[in-house]
Amino acid sequence: MTHQKTLPDSYYQLMEQIQQVDFVLVELTLYLDTHPDDLDAINQFNQAAYESRQLKNTFEKQFGPLMQFGQSFSNYPWDWKEAPWPWQV
Amino acid sequence: MTYTLVKCYSPYISKMDPCPPMLKKCFSTPPNLYIPFQPYNSEQFPTAREALYKGTLWTCLYDPYPLKREENLE
Repeated sequence: MTHQKTLPDSYYQLMEQIQQVDFVLVELTLYLDTHPDDLDAINQFNQAAYESRQLKNTFEKQFGPLMQFGQSFSNYPWDWKEAPWPWQV
Repeated sequence: MTYTLVKCYSPYISKMDPCPPMLKKCFSTPPNLYIPFQPYNSEQFPTAREALYKGTLWTCLYDPYPLKREENLE
């Protein structure tokens, strides 16, 4: 039986942080669709986008790529198909 | 808040009804029904975590969905 890769707690904490920031980005995107001239919201959006990118970088350094087709850098060897997948986490 | 998040009505019960009557039926009326256009820089939840758990970034749009099973059955 292949060795089951146990995930540290930091995996779940980082993943939740990413979820939190991405949710804020979703809400702000919807808000800005109807309020395009709200400068504060745009600043908040850019801040959250930057933060989301940072979080994803730190996550990917430890746990491998999150996205494909060049959205994320790859480890060696090519391992994006390794478990766990999002629904297995 | 001048509106309620749940509204109920009692349907007409006919003596011909084959099934046990439903005395009261309720439905959800979330805040967005009562806000024609979202005001600028309206209040947000202090942390992203709370916004995620509450399901919205804006406190004025938060709806706990108080519609419980028993509310429908009374």
